[in-house]
Amino acid sequence: MKIGVPKETHEGEARVAMTPDSAVQLQKLGYDCAIEAGAGHKAGFVDADYTAAGVEVIKTAAALWAASDIVAKVRPPNATELKRLKDGKTLITFFDPAGNETAMEAARKSGASVIAMEMVPRISRAQKMDALSSMANIAGYRAVIEASSNFGRFFTGQITAAGKMPPARVLVIGAGVAGLAAIGTSTSLGAVTLAFDVRPEVAEQVESMGAEFVYLDFEEAQDGAGAGGYASVSSPEFREAQLAKFRELAPGIDIVITTALIPNRDAPELWTEDMVKAMKPGSVIVDLAAEKGGNCKLTVKDEKIVTEGGVTIIGYTDFPSRMAAQASSLYATNIRHMMADLTPEKDGQIVHDMEDDVIRGATVVHAGEITYPPPPPKVQAIAAKPKQTAPVPTAAEKKASELANFKKQTKMQAALLGGGAVIMLAIGAVAPESFVSHFIVFALACFVGFSVIWGVAHSLHTPLMAITNAISSIIILGALMQIGSGSGLVIVLAALAIFMAGVNIFGGFLVTRRMLAMFQKS
Amino acid sequence: MEYGFTTAAYVVAAVLFILSLGGLSGQESAKRAVWYGIIGMALATLATLIGPGSGLWLLSLLLIAGGGAVGVVIAKRVQMTDMPQLVAAMHSLVGLAAVFVGMIAHFEIVRVMTAFTEAGLVYPRGSADWSLTATQIADQFVAATELGRSFGTFAGLIAEKTAVEVNILHIELFLGVFIGAVTFTGSVVAYGKLAGRVSSAAEKLPGGHMLNAGAAAMSLICLIWYVNSGSFAPLLIMTLLAGFIGYHLIMGIGGADMPVVVSMLNSYSGWAAAAIGFSLGNDLLIVTGALVGSSGAILSYIMCKAMNRSFISVILGGFGTTTGPAMEVEGEQVAIDAEGVATALNDADSIVIVPGYGMAVAQAQGAVSDLVTKLRAKGKSVRFAIHPVAGRLPGHMNVLLAEAKVPYDIVLEMDEINEDLAKTDVVIVIGSNDIVNPAAQDDPNSPIAGMPVLEVWKAKQVFVSKRGQGTGYSGIENPLFYKDNTRMFYGDAKASISALLPKID
Repeated sequence: MKIGVPKETHEGEARVAMTPDSAVQLQKLGYDCAIEAGAGHKAGFVDADYTAAGVEVIKTAAALWAASDIVAKVRPPNATELKRLKDGKTLITFFDPAGNETAMEAARKSGASVIAMEMVPRISRAQKMDALSSMANIAGYRAVIEASSNFGRFFTGQITAAGKMPPARVLVIGAGVAGLAAIGTSTSLGAVTLAFDVRPEVAEQVESMGAEFVYLDFEEAQDGAGAGGYASVSSPEFREAQLAKFRELAPGIDIVITTALIPNRDAPELWTEDMVKAMKPGSVIVDLAAEKGGNCKLTVKDEKIVTEGGVTIIGYTDFPSRMAAQASSLYATNIRHMMADLTPEKDGQIVHDMEDDVIRGATVVHAGEITYPPPPPKVQAIAAKPKQTAPVPTAAEKKASELANFKKQTKMQAALLGGGAVIMLAIGAVAPESFVSHFIVFALACFVGFSVIWGVAHSLHTPLMAITNAISSIIILGALMQIGSGSGLVIVLAALAIFMAGVNIFGGFLVTRRMLAMFQKS
Repeated sequence: MEYGFTTAAYVVAAVLFILSLGGLSGQESAKRAVWYGIIGMALATLATLIGPGSGLWLLSLLLIAGGGAVGVVIAKRVQMTDMPQLVAAMHSLVGLAAVFVGMIAHFEIVRVMTAFTEAGLVYPRGSADWSLTATQIADQFVAATELGRSFGTFAGLIAEKTAVEVNILHIELFLGVFIGAVTFTGSVVAYGKLAGRVSSAAEKLPGGHMLNAGAAAMSLICLIWYVNSGSFAPLLIMTLLAGFIGYHLIMGIGGADMPVVVSMLNSYSGWAAAAIGFSLGNDLLIVTGALVGSSGAILSYIMCKAMNRSFISVILGGFGTTTGPAMEVEGEQVAIDAEGVATALNDADSIVIVPGYGMAVAQAQGAVSDLVTKLRAKGKSVRFAIHPVAGRLPGHMNVLLAEAKVPYDIVLEMDEINEDLAKTDVVIVIGSNDIVNPAAQDDPNSPIAGMPVLEVWKAKQVFVSKRGQGTGYSGIENPLFYKDNTRMFYGDAKASISALLPKID
């Protein structure tokens, strides 16, 4: 089958869905590749490169669409492109299925299959085709670079002969893929970086990137993790606490990068007008959520504005496209991995397996039916299960849980002791005194044993076994007491028992000593 | 005979034994603790020989010396990697000794009975004939007491017993022999499995656990029979049955569950000693047996907890039922050569090594230790992460590393190091599999779901030293090997690690 990649029709879009490198890989899967003339030009790939990689260069988009069985694109198709989508073809692209019902309906009528790259489920296995993450990564990086070029100072602090410059203070809101990429870029430029996210479990990731996580003083457990590692909507109280914290931080922050998005919703407003006013002149805000209305209400989509207070607000939505070469090669690789999953036999034939979680999730139109939204994936494991480590459990909560624990333990112990006492009494009631006296000794010894052994270091378990082994040879006492008091058979058996116990006593203790002597401190 | 001295010695010995076990809470105090154990044992033996030990003490001393010599030779020769086998073998000796001592106790009862009957007296006491006059009963009592004194220590004790006490005695020694026999055959099988003489796979005879249950039920019938008749036959039959149970139970348990099995047998050997202590009326035996028994029980509990499995499911063998198909693993295992691993190690600042049974098999601990020394000399932080069930014996890895002179303060437990793994540059997994399997957390359908594992996949880079592409003991595919940050370092662990050494600079 043939994979064709047309030139992007969206204005300003510089990315392309196939690179010469990815074309080579696609050919290994058994596909023929075709590209529209000039498609890779803006991303730095000229037609000659494609030809060299064995890709057929087709002059017009119409001819390319007609010749290809599979069309790979970056941006959602426009009306013309939808018309070119014919029965039996497969379209792989960002599709925006949630906001593009008419296109979906058109695709359904055409009989073609559509795989929407943004619908790839977030499971470990599908990470290699997660185009959203690849693009977010670029956006995060580019956001810092844009901020830096609009910020009139260094990011890193310096002390020079000409004076002392403090490092820039950067606040990243939302520590998803884009946020983390921004944190990484910002810290490596030398800025003091703070980061906030509603999902407390990412604190560790944030800190691992060298930023400081901003914790809230909030009574409820701070946890906004929804399904699939995405954030969910938070409660009004939580939002208030969050805004208060931001308000407190705003005057000291030079650069704000907001990346807070909630799937299928408008971006939450997190950076209010008064916070913008509180910032120093010359500060920069990069709003990566501009596409969905922006985390800051002053943001103008696709534009850079400067407020009266001298704060620059960048609302570009085409960060990946601004780094077209990098974005194209990542996106092309994502597409290539998707194709690999679609081609299990590596024979150039698509097998659209709707049982496969990843393929099922990404497919929005198939066999004349709209298959969006997909059922929730069976496994959601990208951002670990939320650990219940509320960053600031309040004192009252702690006390309550301690008390509950204490009560539980008391109940346990009382039950065990009560039960034990009843059993002892029951035995004492029927058994003769001579037995009971031994039994008490036995019970006490068990008790002592249990308390003592819990303290034994894990690393000494093997020596423990060897020494208990030696000690359990105490059975030798029995044999010693019996050996002289009977007939031939008794003597033989007792002698054997003594001999074996002797082996054990000496062997056990010696081996223990040998092992313990080996444990050395550094 | 007055045994005041003996009893006092027993108390001291019991205290010493408790101190000896308690001392194992730290590496330094442990070195002292062994001496407590040795002195306690010497004291107890001497006190018994001087006190109630009934004659033939020269023979006894000779036997102890002979056995001791054998023990010393074995202890000196044994390789640290063979420690699991040795421990299992020693358990079997304790088990067998318990069986013998229990049987002797039976013979003694019979002997006392016969002697009483020959003297025309009634035994056990208290079952006197009511047709006799009070004087006759009193006469009998005096005669019986005198006859009792004529026996040795132990038999003398038996002669004093009443009917109820004799019944209890029967039950006690029956239990002692039963546990002893299970321990004996079980340990022999465990030894065979650990030493590689018997296939380590779980094997069961047709009928499975029903056979065990049947044997246990028949043993119970034997107990009733034995208490009623006091004859030798039920005791012997039960011993054989118990031997079978021990054999079959352990045969049904596979390789990686061995830590649980060995500590369970350890526990049994203690309970056997305690049961024998009851039948002999010896408090020191009871105390020590209980100490050892509870120690083994706790070890088993810790091991089971570390595998997230109930004790029952381990004993019944095999892994628990899965609730659905396992999550499929995609991707491929990417191999790497020594050059690549060495480069990564040279670049890394923090390194964590996760050893498993494979390291013991390949005897790679020496090479690993050399590698660690070299890396540490270069100022890198190198630590070991030990999963509680790594190896075939509780604490197995710690002993091996200690033998290879790895300082114990860089050898950490799972809970201590798990949180740090995310911040680690390089993790080297040497011959472990299930204990680093992310499926335990990610895949609710996995047979090991919920088992605490070392989260090595969170580290920046993971190298897995492994002989080939096979699955671990549990036969579960390990998604770790397919992760993007994992590289497979195939080959014998010892050769692989040694190959790294000259490349570290």
